[in-house]
Amino acid sequence: MADIGIAAEPVDLELAEQFTTKAQQREAATLGMWAWLVTELLLFAGLFLCALILRIQHPQSVTLVTTHLKFWIGATNTVVLICSSLTMSAAIVTSRLGWRRFMLGALLATASLGSLFLLLKGFEYYQDYDEHMMPFLADRSYVLAHDQASVLFLDVYYITTGLHGVHLITGISILLWLTWKASRPAFLQTHQNRIEIYGLYWHFIDLIWIIVFPVLYVLNR
Amino acid sequence: MSHDDWQVLWQHMRPAVRSFVLLLVLLGVNVTLGATLPFSWAYVVEGVVVACMVLTVLLVSMEVLREPPLMRLFAALGFFWVAIMFTMTLVDYLSR
Repeated sequence: MADIGIAAEPVDLELAEQFTTKAQQREAATLGMWAWLVTELLLFAGLFLCALILRIQHPQSVTLVTTHLKFWIGATNTVVLICSSLTMSAAIVTSRLGWRRFMLGALLATASLGSLFLLLKGFEYYQDYDEHMMPFLADRSYVLAHDQASVLFLDVYYITTGLHGVHLITGISILLWLTWKASRPAFLQTHQNRIEIYGLYWHFIDLIWIIVFPVLYVLNR
Repeated sequence: MSHDDWQVLWQHMRPAVRSFVLLLVLLGVNVTLGATLPFSWAYVVEGVVVACMVLTVLLVSMEVLREPPLMRLFAALGFFWVAIMFTMTLVDYLSR
């Protein structure tokens, strides 16, 4: 079989009128994404801090809750997101090389892994529901009702994982839209940096989960 | 894909693959500690491992090291503000 190489497409950026140079445009886009990510970091940091304070104030209650959380699903989901970070990196690298077909495959693989994460998370929520671990449901008994402080930690658990889930759903939606846009032949020649900018967001979702998992599931369980 | 293409891909993907392996190893350490709780102060090691994982994602996956100084400053400032918030709050709770 013939050893056929990949045909690289030209990679560039269409200069918008408000910028003087393409380098300036790239830096502005990256800085804008970082400004957004920093606000996101502060949002999640508040929740992490709440979880840590509850661990300090009510250690027994938190341990009780963490023994009910699905540790192995959380660990598997962390592996899934780390894998998705690798595929996102592959998409960025191949977009720089001009390998559009390879890049599209990597973007779709990233979206698939993100969807797998959501499926596992949904299954985890279902198990929590099945085990009566949802104290906010008024018409359903709560298995740890004797320990009122446990409700506080569970609330933080649902808010944090729910908020992360919303970010992932948003991320997958944007990713699929970006993949559709990137499937057009001229995309890499005019908007290659969009893949890089979006990559920052995806890696950040991964970074947040890397902190969520130990803070909620692992620390002295 | 030709052999040369694989060579080019590997050359560019090497840092990402290395960070991927490192992240899995570090996660393995935390999962083992979480599953077995071998000593009472395991949370200290777990915290250090998480810090290493966050740094790996920031520096390698998010390529902060390759960014211009302004971008690096911005990223560092975000974590600096978080550090101030954590320090001031935890000093209060831990010293009560």
